[in-house]
Amino acid sequence: MVALVIALALFFDFTNGFHDTANAMATPIATGAIKPKTAVALAAVLNLVGAFLSTEVAKTISGGLIREGTDGIHITPDIIFAGLMGAVLWNMVTWLKGLPSSSSHALFGGLIGAAVVGIGFHSINFETVLQKVILPAIFAPLIAGLVAYICTRLAYALTSRHDPETGDKLTQKRGGFRTGQIFTSSLVALAHGTNDAQKTMGIITLVLIAAGTQTPGSGPQFWVIAACAFAIAIGTYAGGWRIIRTMGSGLTEVKPAQGFSAETSTASAILASSHLGFALSTTQVASGSVIGSGLGRKGTSVRWGTAGKIALGWLFTLPASAIVGALTALLVGTGVVGVIIAAVAGTAAVLFMFVASRKSHVGHHNAVEVEEAGHAVRFRKKKKSRKTTPSEDVQR
Amino acid sequence: MKWLELLQVAGVTLFSAVTLVVLYSLGVRLTAIAGDAQQKSPGLMRSLAYVCFAICGAAVLFGIYLIVPYFGK
Repeated sequence: MVALVIALALFFDFTNGFHDTANAMATPIATGAIKPKTAVALAAVLNLVGAFLSTEVAKTISGGLIREGTDGIHITPDIIFAGLMGAVLWNMVTWLKGLPSSSSHALFGGLIGAAVVGIGFHSINFETVLQKVILPAIFAPLIAGLVAYICTRLAYALTSRHDPETGDKLTQKRGGFRTGQIFTSSLVALAHGTNDAQKTMGIITLVLIAAGTQTPGSGPQFWVIAACAFAIAIGTYAGGWRIIRTMGSGLTEVKPAQGFSAETSTASAILASSHLGFALSTTQVASGSVIGSGLGRKGTSVRWGTAGKIALGWLFTLPASAIVGALTALLVGTGVVGVIIAAVAGTAAVLFMFVASRKSHVGHHNAVEVEEAGHAVRFRKKKKSRKTTPSEDVQR
Repeated sequence: MKWLELLQVAGVTLFSAVTLVVLYSLGVRLTAIAGDAQQKSPGLMRSLAYVCFAICGAAVLFGIYLIVPYFGK
């Protein structure tokens, strides 16, 4: 059972990685600031580094959602297994649909479902659920969206250049924002590595402690840290191209200044939330930023249909993974045979979704039509410089 | 409910993101001005732009400082 949980936890870490590549790298890929493959490689390295940097293990697996701990309920590896199953399957479904959704909320959902079946309703701390999952899900995109909107407006206002005499548009020269995007998106990737790999380390460590192979209160062993770090890095490098496509071009068109504003808002929101104690989901912040920046730039439209689908996905994250978690907990509760059935069914479901994904392959080559966008930008630059040359001649 | 924390997070996010974007935009703008043909003092503009970028760089470093727990505690 312990080995099974560890394997599943590492797979969850992997799905977490490829699910969240988009948060950091979708906009720089969309604007052509970084080449797609370089971008995921950079994100993978930063995730790897981030995972090694932070090894402080959380005291509780569920962050207080379930009344666990010394005076509460003892969470067994069975429940963790069921919870992880719910989270992994939901991550796979949302990936197949190309929806950015929070991996931690999926994990919370799975654990809640498993705990309700395995222990009972009294094990759930509903106030914490409201505070840690439901309210942030509403406010994260709102805050990030608003900030990104203001930033995008400012960025365009500050860099729009008109000839003082003729009133013609001068060359805008906003290419510099691409360089900035590299830095802001790298910050997001690094922050992701420090936060998310840690969750899996915490789970594995707690399972090891529960199994009696590790002394309580000790930190994660080195192989656990290394395994988690590599799982999340490989996941990131595999790149959730479907989600990158949604975030990079599905919600709205992204231009460098706009992408820079969105990434800066995302990075600020994540850092502020993780240091001031109101946890916001990276995915939800990033999606909100992209939408907000899309609203802020003139001449862009936000595809609200896609945004609605994403919101619907968030709405279902908790219940859907809870149901899978609960079903798995039921199966596991029946004994060894149940565990085997659950493991086989889970593997089959993951394989099925992987095969289904092959039908419409989305890879680095077609995730975002960067080439086209790049040509468009270059073309426009040329046109503008042609426009400005005559005016310069006149001035001379 | 942690409404105060929520407000705080929103405020800090707004402040830091706006500051960074304004500075970087100024940097981009000044670089563009420095590149203009009729600009009299491109050197000054360019160095001002670099100051803006340098402050942004410092902000990124501060971000890394916040992310890495080794510095924090």
